Amino acid sequence: MLKISQLVKRYGNGEPVLKGLDLEVPGESIVAVIGASGAGKSTLLRCINRLVEPTSGTIELNDVTLSSLRGSELRAARRRIGMIFQGFNLVDRLTVMENVQSGRLGYLPTWRAITRRYPRKDIRRAYELMERVGIAHYASKRADELSGGERQRVGVVRALMQEPEILLADEPTASLDPKTSEQIMELLRALSREFSLPVLINIHNVGEAKAYSDRIVGMRFGRIMFDAEPSALDRAAMDEIYAGTPADERAVGGGDETEFKVKTA
Amino acid sequence: MSAHAPANDGKLPDTWRKPPMIANPVLRYTLAVAVLAYVAWAVYMLPFDWERMAEGASRAARIFSGAFPPSFERSGLLIDGFLESLKIAILATVAGVFLSIPIAFMAAKNLAPKPVYFLGRAIIVVARSFHPVIVAIIFVKAVGFGPFAGVLTLIVYSIGFVAKMLAERIEEIDWGQVEAMRAVGAGYLPTIIYAVFPQIMPRQIGLSIYQLDSNLRASAVVGIVGAGGIGSTLANAFGRYDYDFALAITMVIVGAILISEGISGQIRKRIW
Amino acid sequence: MVGLDATPDEWVRFTPRQRLQRFAIYLVCVAAIVWALTSIDVVWAWVYDAPEQMADLFGRMVPPDTANLSSILWVLLETVNIATIATALSVMVSLPVAYIAAQNTTPNAATLWLGRLILVSSRSVNTIIWALLFVAIFGPGIIAGILAIMFRSIGFIGKLLGEAIEEIDRRPVEALEATGASRFKVILYAIVPQVMPTFWAVSILRWDINLRESTVLGLVGAGGIGLILQGAIDTFNWQEAATVLLAILALVIAGEVVAGTLRRRII
Repeated sequence: MLKISQLVKRYGNGEPVLKGLDLEVPGESIVAVIGASGAGKSTLLRCINRLVEPTSGTIELNDVTLSSLRGSELRAARRRIGMIFQGFNLVDRLTVMENVQSGRLGYLPTWRAITRRYPRKDIRRAYELMERVGIAHYASKRADELSGGERQRVGVVRALMQEPEILLADEPTASLDPKTSEQIMELLRALSREFSLPVLINIHNVGEAKAYSDRIVGMRFGRIMFDAEPSALDRAAMDEIYAGTPADERAVGGGDETEFKVKTA
Repeated sequence: MSAHAPANDGKLPDTWRKPPMIANPVLRYTLAVAVLAYVAWAVYMLPFDWERMAEGASRAARIFSGAFPPSFERSGLLIDGFLESLKIAILATVAGVFLSIPIAFMAAKNLAPKPVYFLGRAIIVVARSFHPVIVAIIFVKAVGFGPFAGVLTLIVYSIGFVAKMLAERIEEIDWGQVEAMRAVGAGYLPTIIYAVFPQIMPRQIGLSIYQLDSNLRASAVVGIVGAGGIGSTLANAFGRYDYDFALAITMVIVGAILISEGISGQIRKRIW
Repeated sequence: MVGLDATPDEWVRFTPRQRLQRFAIYLVCVAAIVWALTSIDVVWAWVYDAPEQMADLFGRMVPPDTANLSSILWVLLETVNIATIATALSVMVSLPVAYIAAQNTTPNAATLWLGRLILVSSRSVNTIIWALLFVAIFGPGIIAGILAIMFRSIGFIGKLLGEAIEEIDRRPVEALEATGASRFKVILYAIVPQVMPTFWAVSILRWDINLRESTVLGLVGAGGIGLILQGAIDTFNWQEAATVLLAILALVIAGEVVAGTLRRRII
């Protein structure tokens, strides 16, 4: 259970990016965060694992207050938060196995990290997960030899290797073509059920958000404007979330929306 | 988790090795052994003089205590030396850049006939291969101590770099412009002047400025073997154990190099 | 430049302002050359004499004397060893220097400036000047030579590596920080692999340069083939000097070929 209360983030002396956010994500549910670029979605996600330092407010994950941790305690907490990125953020010149095992770096003795002598149970787990997402045969290939969808699967496996208590996904499909996006979203939903994981997904594409999430949170200018199940997201709510943003930015979601409704019906 | 493990659970491997950089194991181990053997041999063979090394600390202390504070007392000598270096660098750059042009044309595969091409390349390779200090020591013997030997040395040094880069640029020119000139019946020289020169000019100016900068650096060094300039002043100061003056000279050299690097960087940024 | 209503019967390439600028630049260049030519301390009679002197010198070099060839080659090998050992050592030393001199990895502002100070002072003093200093400290010999090459190379390698570190893709670093990996492991997995190609390229390039530099160390007493060259020149044994020069030429060309091959193989 992730519990965020009164979260504020301000860069320098400017207008806060997050203005006193409250949000709870209970176990085993997929929560999609939607909103125009600049609404603060990405900052929200990065405040949770403290890649971005919150200005004030508290964040708790399963009764551990993340927002007050420092040094090795913070690192220990980060091990339990898996993150998936828009640009996959793999190390291109390392093999798929090394990228996957880098999810274990927080647990691994340094000499094992240097020599690449990973524990047997980690290797087995890596193969199981890679097999599950269909990339096991790439284990010894370099990450930059893979296609976009495959690379994102590596990113997903890396996050799962951490044995996380929550998954954060920052626009996980924005760099992928529609068909692959759908597969990755499908995968995230399935994995959430399999591992009983809460998943918090930032997403641009409203259609995907509605099709694959249990709950939608709409953000605008650092505030939560909407928080309900996908079916409750109607025109009026959309207009409120996206008010004042160019039509084409919304159209991406709008266009796909109908398409996905047909597919998932 | 295990409830969702894939069906072929028993067959999944639990070991993994990073694919080695050299796939062939025989070659890999031979190479590793060869490298180790070389390092051991090289270190063992070099005539290290450990006793002298041990004495070094006290001598270093003496040198550094002698060097501080740096002495600018004989600043006249210092300025003369520096100006001489500057003159050497200017003259060598001008002469070197001009001489580089015909040599570069000789060494451009697309313009020169085979024998000329090889001659041009040979000149460049020889000019590049010898460190300016070696060239300087020969010129000093041939034409005597002083800045003239320095100018000759740096001309050779300039040719090695400028002619090489210029030849590469000439080989990359847009051949269409040359054909256009030939089509209107222009001779060899007009073709070069109108079709090739405009294409290589920007590069040539950039190279000249860069070379002036490197010649200034090098002129400080060739002086050490007697080819004039501030290097000679430095070598003399060292020879007379005037470490405070030597430090002052070194500081001037470093300062001049930093300034000249900054200026040449600025100019090239604007031209390129 | 030209109004549309008139057909000019004159064509000039540059505007007056541009022409003035160009003229000023030409003037400065010419003035500099004239100044240098007229004030340089040169005996012009020697200059006119120079071609003859050079011809005479090269005349005395042929045929090269190969009597001492085996000892020359032996010292040549020693020269290669100096360059190789010095390059290997400076690569190791320059790694931490590059680390603290790169803006995105340096621990704090003080270390950043320390790193930059090391790089600048190393880079702006030439190998030969370093050699002068180390010969004065440790006496003539190979140690001075190796140290001289190292002190110059650290700045070169450190600067290029530091720039490579600054140019890395930040995203994998962020991803590994998010997994809870320690600073050291993030460097090991996200930064090191990205810098590896530059690391090899720069090391090979510097080895090639150091091969050249090590041939002159002997001229200031810091070991290697330069010592033999100096001896031959001082005793006017030009035929042996010619052999040494040819040996150096062969060494440098061979070094370039080896460096080129390594570059293609490794990168």
